[in-house]
Amino acid sequence: MAAPSMKERQACWGARDEYWKCLDENTEDASKCKKLRSSFESSCPQQWIKYFDKRRDYLKFKEKFEAGEFQPSKTTAES
Amino acid sequence: MLLLALAPRAWLRLPQLKPLALPSTRGGESLHVTCRFLSRQSPAGTGRQGQPQGPGLRTRLLVTALFGAGLGGAWLAARAKKEQWRQQQRTEALRQAAVGQGDFSLLDHQGHARCKADFRGQWVLMYFGFTHCPDICPDELEKLVQVVRQLEAEPGLPPVQPVFITVDPERDNVEAMARYVQDFHPRLLGLTGSAEQVAQVSRSYRVYYSAGPKDEDQDYIVDHSIAIYLLSPDGLFTDYYGRARSAEQIADSVRRHMATFRSVLH
Repeated sequence: MAAPSMKERQACWGARDEYWKCLDENTEDASKCKKLRSSFESSCPQQWIKYFDKRRDYLKFKEKFEAGEFQPSKTTAES
Repeated sequence: MLLLALAPRAWLRLPQLKPLALPSTRGGESLHVTCRFLSRQSPAGTGRQGQPQGPGLRTRLLVTALFGAGLGGAWLAARAKKEQWRQQQRTEALRQAAVGQGDFSLLDHQGHARCKADFRGQWVLMYFGFTHCPDICPDELEKLVQVVRQLEAEPGLPPVQPVFITVDPERDNVEAMARYVQDFHPRLLGLTGSAEQVAQVSRSYRVYYSAGPKDEDQDYIVDHSIAIYLLSPDGLFTDYYGRARSAEQIADSVRRHMATFRSVLH
């Protein structure tokens, strides 16, 4: 399978950003962004979707952590 | 810096200040007066008690300024020395890291054999990645060629050769590399090779890479270290830039290296 071209990459990133923006506006409620989710899935290779989903989780965590809002769970703190 | 800037003016004013300061210390009388005043031998005094005792305000300010300027100068000298020391330490550390020693043998995106000696005489900015990379490699390559464009727009600077080396030899053959590099810069050179050749060049530049699990489409992501390397015209590893460095910062650093470069090969 050939790697996506620059045009395809940009289309994928664009669809990803739209979907992420929707998640931002709907407090991470994916059920309100189904349309954008399917456009994201059809614009990017499957492997990239997995990667970007993980990346968003990480970026959200980082944002929280840097804002000082992250509280380690009790089990984590005690272990 | 402010203190240093003020110091010369303070020196110039010194002769003007002297006559002003003198009356209060004339003939050592001031000291005498102080003694008398403190011992209360003559409470009426000589009628000079209202005048300021000891050095005048301006003199004290001047002394403080001079002292501050001295301190500031010492601090600047110490800082310059520390900076020089740091630069030496860094050069030494980079030299000891022995990154990129030895040769490599790869194919460029036009199918020509390339080894390290082919780049002698050229500044090289080099990045390791793979063409199926979701976001980081295209971002970093975009940054790399932005640096190259900035530098090539400045007359008088030697040209910089942008190089992209794959860490995914399984999929990134010559054709895949040719398709990929054309999107970034007309002079960007894509290098690939056999699994062993890629392993060798990566090891030499301390680049870690590890292919992830394959999905149903046989697609996978390669995890790898991210750094842009600068090689001098001698082919020696000269500096490296992590993700946090902007194109401007990298271009500044390359310019500095170009300005201080002395070939060790001639």
